[in-house]
Amino acid sequence: MFENVKMPDGMNPEILEHLMNPKNYGKLENHNCVGVAVDEKTGEYVIFYTLLDGEIIKDVSYATNGCQDTVVIGSMFTDMIKNNNLEYANGAVQKMHEKLGDLSPQQQICADIVFSAFIASMKNFENLSNGKEEEMHLFKMKDSCESTGKENE
Amino acid sequence: MNKLYQKKHELWLNITFSSFAINDEEIKSRLYDFSMIAFRHMKWLGSEVLNENGNYNYDRDKIFYKKETVFEVLETLKDEILEIQTSYRDNTLGDRIETDDNYLLEYISQILNETSNNQTVTAFNMKRKWLDKNLAQDQIDALTIFLFEESYKEYELILVYAYMQARTTNTLEFNIFQDLVDESHFHLKSFGNMMAKIGILAMPRELHELTYIVDDLEKFIVDGIAEEEAAKIMCKELSDAIKDEELSKFFDFINYQENYHIELMQKLLK
Repeated sequence: MFENVKMPDGMNPEILEHLMNPKNYGKLENHNCVGVAVDEKTGEYVIFYTLLDGEIIKDVSYATNGCQDTVVIGSMFTDMIKNNNLEYANGAVQKMHEKLGDLSPQQQICADIVFSAFIASMKNFENLSNGKEEEMHLFKMKDSCESTGKENE
Repeated sequence: MNKLYQKKHELWLNITFSSFAINDEEIKSRLYDFSMIAFRHMKWLGSEVLNENGNYNYDRDKIFYKKETVFEVLETLKDEILEIQTSYRDNTLGDRIETDDNYLLEYISQILNETSNNQTVTAFNMKRKWLDKNLAQDQIDALTIFLFEESYKEYELILVYAYMQARTTNTLEFNIFQDLVDESHFHLKSFGNMMAKIGILAMPRELHELTYIVDDLEKFIVDGIAEEEAAKIMCKELSDAIKDEELSKFFDFINYQENYHIELMQKLLK
């Protein structure tokens, strides 16, 4: 899926489509776990809603106040894992890391915040399954866009 | 009641983006005027909700996406106005809003009655060409990213400041929020029309409540000032990168406006 991803140079129609109409964006009313990853330095966050049915990710959505790289990666990643199983999704995180390897450090941070929000939603599911009361699981990001010199928005 | 607020929010956006989408300057201008009226409706409906100890949010259902002709844009708008009309309350505010909407429906009917108005809409063609300018691909790419970043940011600022304005009892804060909302309307209009011009017009994505429910105003303002500083740098970089005098001057002009936004925001911290 990420063979042709080059951002922002050489923007291709696929990227433009994700910018104009991000997939799986917004709240998912019918979810059973929620994860948030936040960059405390910039206030940037990604919130990830997941509906798990056994091992299958039946539905997924995300929202962010972040930059367009975060929006595009969130759109692509949710499209990729929707209706797949958890093993595939975990592999997809790794696969996307490899594919996104050519991105700038700032863009890599955008990718990481998306993946971290998804993993936080899985942690929320695990905690809820173990009887813990938790509205959503929160991960604070170690790396910040700010520290890489990114001037977002 | 929140459902009515949500529908009015969607209608405001739809009128605004219909205005951006249509090339005819007269129709564009008239629709934009109506969009500003719709924004005031939204503000008044929000006040009514709060006065009755209710609450509203910025959830949205619909998106405005890829219309081919002017009539398709206007027919969609007309249907949305007709749909909302049954939801207004039977009171002075409801009557006022309904009268405004009826006048917009009348204007749309006049446009739809003249077939020569049914021009092709180029705002969504994704061609990324500015016809009367010779911009290199890297300049177009930089402009594309800038317009997506900033059109969302202006939409976000309009809604966040309007949300805080509706809830403050402090006159200074109220006035500053109003100035910031007004400024962002102008920026959204400028960027939206530029997006349409190069064929990449898109509705900004929905705001999540984590963005607009602010617990710590001071931190929000400090972060906001940092964002304005970043936007200034982005404008300057774009102005330097784009080898077109007219566009460069425009981005310099926006850049200087951000300076005063920072000044206004700093007043909120005092």
